Amino acid sequence: MPPMNPLLTRRSVLAGLGFTGAALLTGCTSAVSLQAGSPANETSKGGTLRAGIGQDLIPGNFFTNSNSGITTLIGLVYEGLIRYPNDRVAPTPRLATSWQMSADGRALTLTLRQGVTFHTGRPFTSKDVEFSLRTYAEPVWNGQLRSTAAAITSYDTSDPQKVVLHLAHPLGNIFDLLDTVPIVDSETFDGVGTGRQYVGTGPFRFVSWTPNSQLRFAKNPKYWQPGLPYLDNVNVSVVPDPTSLTSQLRSGQIDYAYGNSYLDIEQLAATKRFTKHQLAGAEQQIYVGTNITAPALSDIRVRQAIAYAIDRERIMSEVFRNSGYAVNLPWPKYSNAYDANKNTTYALDTAKASALVKEYGKPIAEIPLAYSAQVPLYRQTAQIVQANLQAVGIPVTLDPLDGAQFVKRLIGAEFPGMWTTFHSWAQYTPSTLTVSAYPFNAAKNSSHYSSAQYSSDATQAWQVADGGSEEAVGHYGRLSDDLLSALFLIEIGVVQPQWVTSNRLRGVSYTKRQELDLTRAALSV
Amino acid sequence: MTDTTVAGAAAVPGSEPPSGDVPVIAAGNAPAFPGRRRTPLLRGRGLTGLILVAAVIVAGVAAPLLAPYAPEEQIRNANLLGPSWQHLLGTDEVNRDVLSRTLYGIRVDALIVFIAVPAGAVLGSLAGVVSSQFAVADVVTQRVFDVLLAFPALILAIGLTAVTGPGAVPIGVVVVALELPLFGRLVRTATLAVRELPFVRAAEAMGAPRSWVLRRHVLPNVAEPVLVQLALSMSGAVFIDSAMNFIGIGVRPPTPSLGSVLAASVANLHSNPMYAVGPLIVIAVLVLGCQLIAQALTADRRRAGA
Repeated sequence: MPPMNPLLTRRSVLAGLGFTGAALLTGCTSAVSLQAGSPANETSKGGTLRAGIGQDLIPGNFFTNSNSGITTLIGLVYEGLIRYPNDRVAPTPRLATSWQMSADGRALTLTLRQGVTFHTGRPFTSKDVEFSLRTYAEPVWNGQLRSTAAAITSYDTSDPQKVVLHLAHPLGNIFDLLDTVPIVDSETFDGVGTGRQYVGTGPFRFVSWTPNSQLRFAKNPKYWQPGLPYLDNVNVSVVPDPTSLTSQLRSGQIDYAYGNSYLDIEQLAATKRFTKHQLAGAEQQIYVGTNITAPALSDIRVRQAIAYAIDRERIMSEVFRNSGYAVNLPWPKYSNAYDANKNTTYALDTAKASALVKEYGKPIAEIPLAYSAQVPLYRQTAQIVQANLQAVGIPVTLDPLDGAQFVKRLIGAEFPGMWTTFHSWAQYTPSTLTVSAYPFNAAKNSSHYSSAQYSSDATQAWQVADGGSEEAVGHYGRLSDDLLSALFLIEIGVVQPQWVTSNRLRGVSYTKRQELDLTRAALSV
Repeated sequence: MTDTTVAGAAAVPGSEPPSGDVPVIAAGNAPAFPGRRRTPLLRGRGLTGLILVAAVIVAGVAAPLLAPYAPEEQIRNANLLGPSWQHLLGTDEVNRDVLSRTLYGIRVDALIVFIAVPAGAVLGSLAGVVSSQFAVADVVTQRVFDVLLAFPALILAIGLTAVTGPGAVPIGVVVVALELPLFGRLVRTATLAVRELPFVRAAEAMGAPRSWVLRRHVLPNVAEPVLVQLALSMSGAVFIDSAMNFIGIGVRPPTPSLGSVLAASVANLHSNPMYAVGPLIVIAVLVLGCQLIAQALTADRRRAGA
């Protein structure tokens, strides 16, 4: 046996390993203590936030709150007259500091905040309120609360700091409108439709928009809240692919993302390097819509069979990773229209679903189920719904559509069978949903459903001056009964959207329409 | 005259070549007799390619025997499971067995590759022959080919599916449309070259009808380059098919295809890394197999022409 190299004796190897281990431990400990003890956990003023969103701005949809490009822009650049806290429908001051409703519910006087200027430097006045609300009511902008805006018959703007809205009739959801409509600058509004210029009173100024690439914003140095915002700039990249969005977060290229899959967010949050923001109060509802003039779907028994057959709990668990809960009606749990008992009307019951299909008796031809192909959540949901319905004897063909084509068919009520997507607006005063949202609108909806009873209940609920009163709640109960008996829309679940941020970013907030609020956001040093 | 001396070179209708073989001319100056040559697909890389392609086809054909689950079966409580003995490649985001979907996915891809590409080859070759014979047809077909070649494959696919909607048929149409100009131009060029050869001219001078000359002299001589292009196009079609399915304009869910399984896997790799492995391996094997076959055929042509 040859003599051992003196440098490789057992003792020297052990000593070496021990030294290396100690050095590694020391290094790790140092790194940890450095992080804990350094200003890394402290936030600072200034800096540029790099953000990523899944959908680009669509200038023509400015007033629709329909995608993350728009909600990001409006959240940063604009403000409304009032703002609802996320957990309830109760107005708090924003650009209006106080308000007074007349005894008959037909005149609302709003006192406006003083010292507010647009990003151009022009003072904000009552004329801007009138211009914003009138513009929102124009059909070309497709504002979903247009009927409420159109019910404002005249404006008294004689006092620049006060505006009186005269209403055609009492409006239980007037504050929903005031929370929703961004106050725009009349002098530069022409640039909104082209994506050239966005001027508001918000904490950030619009700098530029490069289609399909980036939105850039800079701090509003004359913001009415002193010392805010903290950030100097916000650069928002448009990243349509959810996987790329997640990769950009992981690699530190961005610190905020909106558009990741729920599964990715779950995994990112588990790493402790990222924070999951569950947008409670800004809920969306996933649902299956039906064209009730289509063969088979025109029969209530088939629609009931669909409602009994869908495995809502599975969809909420596997697709939305329990970021919400299964429902039969659109209302979130905090809504004064929510009724736990009614939400069990169509609990999963495949035997009953099969029996209803048999009772229908006629052969059912393949029913198309449309969804927006670009969104993996819809594809997953549609495939589960398809399997659920096949199991009870309702054949379904999946019909993936381009996003723009899907929205066109939804607004134009052009679906030949079923569709699945999100709707919103149930987080507001319940009457808003039934007089406004495209799928529910009693006057014209995507399902071609029309009923004198439903229209009457929707109108009565809408015209109660206090949307939270007992009288209004009674109307909401009747609306819920209408929705459950007509079943032109089959609700699956209430979903709380999710954002994810790196732990560097603090103070991120949101509105009930998922608008990004970075007024108090800051990056750690 | 050595470059065109072939048996039956001056054959006319009614007379058969002495050997009974179809006289063919390779690109060079030596005659080629494929019936007497050992086929390049039974040796070396040709054989390897053939085995790879055959293995994939067999796996697809035998999918009902090999797959442990139905491709569309949603298995309860099996969401995005990693590999196990029960699910060798794990499960997907709607609880389906990935191995089963991969095996069945081969069928869709194979159908498109082995039906659409030959269809494109036949139609393109016909167009090439016609355009080589008639001046007006030549101008029309060449301009149509120019238009088809001007579109990148995926742009053409997106444009077509915007009208027709997604599905296997639009994929097939796109593949045929892409192959048409390739085979059309190839056959036209080869036909024009063969027509100028002395033995063809001699046959024409002896009064042989045009159709007979085409059948007996021209088509046999363009068969080999067409076969090589066919193998190359098949490997290209695997890519096109997979890419169309990957970007969501392929077969409709829940029908599995290699591209759609691969596309769905990308968003779920953190949960089940093996999700992408199955379709990736199959696509790689299929493309490699077709490429090896094409290379073997090309090398054989070169050898024959040497």
